[in-house]
This record gives sequence, structure tokens and C-alpha cells, in this order.
Amino acid sequence: MGKLRIGHLVEAGIWLTLCLVLFIYTFEFDQEIEIYKYGASAWPRAIILLMAFAAIGQLIQQWQRGDESTSNFIVAATDDGAEEAHHSDLKWYLSTFGLLLIPFAYLRVPNWIVALLSAEGSTVHVIRIVCALILIGIFIYYMRRNLLGAMLTLPLIFAAMLEDIGFYSLAPFFIVGVMFMMGERKAKPMIMIAALIFSLLMLLFVKILYVGLPVGNIRPFYDIGSWVVTVLQ
Amino acid sequence: MDAFNNFLTGTVTLFSDPMGVLIFFSGVIGGMLFGAIPGVSMLTLAAILLPFTAHLSPEHGIMLFSVIYCTGVYGGAITAILFNIPGAPENAPTAFDGYPMTLKGQAGKAVGAAVMCSAIGGTVSCIIMMLATAPIANWAISAFGPPEIFALVFFGLAVASSVGARTFWKGWLSILAGLLIAVVGLDPVGGIERFDFEMPYLLAGIHFIPTILGFFAVSEIFAQAEKKARGSFIAPKMSVDFPSLAELLAHKWAVIRSIVIGFFCGILPGIGATLAAFMGYNEAVRWSKTPWEFGKGKLEGVISSETANNAATGAAMIPLLALGLPGGALTAMMVGVFQMHDMEPGPLVFINSADLVWVVFSAMFFANISILFIGYIETKTIINLLRIPFQYLAPMILLLATVGAYAVRGLTIDILVMFLAGVIGFFLRRSGYSVAGIVLGLILGKIGEQTFAQAMQMLHFEWSGFLDRPIALGLLIAGLVALLGSIYGAFFKKKRIQPPMA
Repeated sequence: MGKLRIGHLVEAGIWLTLCLVLFIYTFEFDQEIEIYKYGASAWPRAIILLMAFAAIGQLIQQWQRGDESTSNFIVAATDDGAEEAHHSDLKWYLSTFGLLLIPFAYLRVPNWIVALLSAEGSTVHVIRIVCALILIGIFIYYMRRNLLGAMLTLPLIFAAMLEDIGFYSLAPFFIVGVMFMMGERKAKPMIMIAALIFSLLMLLFVKILYVGLPVGNIRPFYDIGSWVVTVLQ
Repeated sequence: MDAFNNFLTGTVTLFSDPMGVLIFFSGVIGGMLFGAIPGVSMLTLAAILLPFTAHLSPEHGIMLFSVIYCTGVYGGAITAILFNIPGAPENAPTAFDGYPMTLKGQAGKAVGAAVMCSAIGGTVSCIIMMLATAPIANWAISAFGPPEIFALVFFGLAVASSVGARTFWKGWLSILAGLLIAVVGLDPVGGIERFDFEMPYLLAGIHFIPTILGFFAVSEIFAQAEKKARGSFIAPKMSVDFPSLAELLAHKWAVIRSIVIGFFCGILPGIGATLAAFMGYNEAVRWSKTPWEFGKGKLEGVISSETANNAATGAAMIPLLALGLPGGALTAMMVGVFQMHDMEPGPLVFINSADLVWVVFSAMFFANISILFIGYIETKTIINLLRIPFQYLAPMILLLATVGAYAVRGLTIDILVMFLAGVIGFFLRRSGYSVAGIVLGLILGKIGEQTFAQAMQMLHFEWSGFLDRPIALGLLIAGLVALLGSIYGAFFKKKRIQPPMA
């Protein structure tokens, strides 16, 4: 198998699958344009074909020479690949993939439950909060075993819940979370720095620049957000 | 003389406007700081600022970015010399000789030379830029139609694909991925929905701001989260010791050589300041009569690397402003600034907004000069800011990026897209792909497809029409040669290119 590793096959597989799926999808918009002979799909198809070609070329090269850099010495200064060894086994990838599903679960699952129970009014809010708490619980449980995967997931969870809970209620927890992932363990500096960063941001964006940030859709978070905005402006 | 008068007018406009002065100095200091702090770069700062430039005038926005470019390239030299930690990749070769000089107790001299040579390289490059850009733009207005612009984009992407990633194929895949992201949304000719997957969000296309923020600010934080272990920054007691005129004259060939190398690296797309620094250093070693002294604390090493990387900055503005073609990640973001103000960079900018161009040019000139003074202050005081632990900086940067992504259109899904781009960027980077390549593809993809369609309509869908257009033909052939050369190299060249000295 030359110098090929499983990772290389997975890499090429991802590219080629992506090419195949996207190429098939181009038939969805394969429409004629009166003034343009090539239509809407020629350009994306050309890109997809070149991409498949490059993915195969890459695979052949990895088969011949493994991961060796054949580009220029610029890579020596910019390549992050050196760290790969620590987090590259299949178990790590699977656990990270699992963690990354949590934010997307929050975007879907509460809606399903609401539809299933045909809930209305404040019950919807309760369902969403309970879902959020359960998913955060799962996240914290798995966080300890895969800190890097958790670091990748945390911002996505933050983004997924922002619409409901709002920037003003969620950001302080997010700051503390990121500091924890980055290796800070002492509670006192964490809280003090979080308070400092949060107040700086509020001062700059809410008080001076009047940027409207999401206040959240769910009570009591909506009230907290609105209260912060009213006080500051 | 025309250029000189324009430059004077630009200078007066710049410094008579309090807002302009404020932005200028914030850019100078911000670029230097972000260049100096390991783990973030001037690209991180530029990405964070990008959404907010919508609230600035186009002059101020472009000026801010160009100033950040000049001082950001220099900023990392100090940490490279004092701690052997280059603040950004473009300062990496500075550490080869700068750090050994610190160990020998010559830190002051190394820093002084870095400051001085960054200023010289940047200023000379800036002057050539002022003299050359307008004539090139004037020529381009008459000589460049859609076929030429398409050919130029093709050439740019072909050259860019062969550098920056771990292998040529990965560079190519990065750029193609960017081109494909640019396809999402409505097609430029018939307005047909492409790759929308029935999601209204995708109809408008994937916005470049969350993507850029994700790739440059967020994925950078993730990469640091993986590394974590960081050195401590205790600045040694030292004073900045500028090289004397005699010392400078002794190294005049190193300076001139690095300016020439840096300038050409800056003009070529995809290469930019990082390669300029490496090539400047490499050539200094190759031309030296005493090459064995390099890497052990030779002043010439610091000089050649720092002159070259700053010389690339002015040069990179020429294709951007004269032809509308960004060559690197930062200039691609400048295209973003133009687009947010419904402007296209390119030769017409010189006619429609000559003021903007000359304010930007004079700002770059003074930014390079101010490296001399701020470099002095930085070494003495600002360096202490490096003691701020990264775990406190990380949430701040992530939240700034969040606010930025949200501020563009007020959509929380943009924030999600940004963090998703961060995660994807993180995995791509550690597998040796080039995020700068993706962003270049994303920004040039729209221009490329549009000009291709226009060119084809213009040539009545006859490819042979390119034969009658020597400039377009030349660029297409040059691009093809670059691509085929890299493919040949990827398959048949046995020996790998050795990194210099390191």
C-alpha cells in the first residue's frame, strides 16, 4: 500500500464523496440561460471535476511519499500539522464528532418534542430550557475526556443557543467555558476576568456603538437581556 | 511630480481629519500588537475588524487595513528576536539569527536593525508602489477587458495554488473549495439558485465575513487550544540600539537584494510577506562569502529577513489597486472592505476615488516611518502586554468575532456558520491545507465566474478569441505553465525542497 495510511483514504474519500454529491446536485439547477450558452451548471461542474482530479492526485502522492511536504519551505513556518499526533486516533475523531452533534441536536430536537406534544405558549419555553440543560449536561460529562473536542464544540453550542437564550445571559458562561478549555482552573481569576471582558464588551458595543445583540426569545432570559440594554442605553 | 503632489494632498487629507488620524494610529499600534502576540496574527485582527468597516468610510476602512498590513508584518520581529517565538510566520526567519544575537547579549542591536530595516524596506516598497500603481492602472483601463481579467484571476489562482499548503494538491484543493463556496447562491448571469439545498439562508450565498472570521480568528484560537504549552515572556533588560550608518552601508547589498526579492514576492499572488522573508534570508545565505556564520547570530540574517517582508507590503497593493486582484489573505479582506461599500477594487478606483488611493498610499508611507518610533516604544513597554495569558485573550477574540459576524446582517445563523468555518478551518489546517487559499478562492471565485461569462459572451463563445488578445493569452499560458509545472513536480520530482538552515 505504499506509504498510504487509513487517514489518507478517509481524506480522499471525503473529498470524492463531496464531489459526487455536489455533482449530482448540479442537475437540480441545470437550467439553460438564453444569453449564456454554458448555463448555470458548467462553472460549478468544472470546479467539481478539477477537485476530484486534485483529490486523486493527492492520494497518489500520499501513496508514493506519505505526508512529506513537497511544497515550499513556507510550510515549515505555517504548518500546524506537527501537533496532529496527539489527537489523531480514530477514537478521538469519533468522540469529537459526537460532541459536535450536540449543538445541532439543540437546533432540531426541541422542535420535534414541541411538535410531538403540540405544546404552546410557555410550555415551549420550558421544553427548550430542559433540552438545553440536558444537552449541556451531556456536553460537560464528555468534556473531561476530550478537552480539545469540547473546545471545538463549545462555540457552536453558544451559537446554537444564542437565538433562544440571548447574548447577554449566555456570554458570561461562554467566557468562563473558554477559559476553562484553554487551561485556566482557578475560580477567582476566571470570574474576575469574565466580568472584566463582559463589561468591556457591553460598554463598547451596547453603550458606545449601539450594536443590537440577540436578547433571546425565552423568558426569563429575554427580560435579562432587555434589562441590560435599557440600563446601558 | 504628479505622484508627489498627489502624495502631499493625500497626506494633508489624512492628517487634517481627526477620525482618520485616530484610525491611523489605532491601525499602527493594533497591527504591531497582533503581529507580536504569538497565536494571533494581523489576519486575526483584520478579520475581527472587517465587519465593522461597514460603518467607516471606504477611505478609512482601506487605510486601516493597509496600515495594519505594514506594521503587522513587522510586529512579530521583536518576539522572534527576544524569545525565539516569531509573532507571525513572516517573522520566522528573523529568529534564525535574531535569537542567537539575544543569547550573545546583542538583543538591542538586533531589534534596532529589525526596526530600521522594516522601515526602510516598507518605505522603499511604498515609494515604488506610489510611482508604479497609477501608470499600471491607466494602462489596464485601456488594455483590460473581461477576458484579460479572467485570465489574470486564473493566473493568480494557479500561482497561489502552488504555495502555502503542504503539497501542491492540497493548495489546489484549498482554492477549489473556496471557488465552490463562492458558487453557492444565485448564478451571476441568469440568477438561477445554486446549491441552496432548499435553505433560504443559502440563497443569498455564504457571506464572506463569517467565513473569513471563522478561518482566521476562530480556527487560530482552536489551534492554540491544542498547543497550550507556551513559554513565559520576561523581557530581558535592553535598549534599542539602531545600527550606525557605517553598519548599514556595510550591509547595503543585503538591504537592496531583500528589497528586490520582497517586492517581487509581494507582487506575485499567493506568495506575500512570509515567503519574501524566507527567500530574502535564503538568498542572503547563498550570496554570502561566509554562509556558515548564519544561524549563529549574524546581523545580516535579521536585516535580510526583515527588509524583505516589509518590502512585500507595498508591492502587494499594486495588483490589488491597479488590477483588482488580491494576492493574499489580507488583500482579499481589503476586497471585502471595497465590496461592503459597493465598490470594486481595480483600475477604475483611480478615476472614481483618487482621494481614497492617495490617502491609503500616504498612510502606508507614514505607517512604515512610524515603525521607527513605535518600534522603540513597543520594545520598552508594549512588550509587557505579552504577559497576558492566552486563556484570557481567547474568549475576548471569540466574542469580538461573534459580535462582528452578527453585526453584518443580524442573523444568528451567521455566527453558527462562522464557528463551523472555524472547526472546518482547524481540521483543514492541521491536515496541511491552506485557509488563505480558500479565502482567495472565495473572493476571486465570484469575479472569476462573472468575467468568464462576460468574456465568453464577448468572444461569442469562441475560445479561439483568446488568441487575438495577447495579454489574456499570455496570462493563461503563464498560469497553465505554473499549474503543469507543479503537477510535473508533484509526480516526478524526487527530491524534496529543503527548508533553509532551520
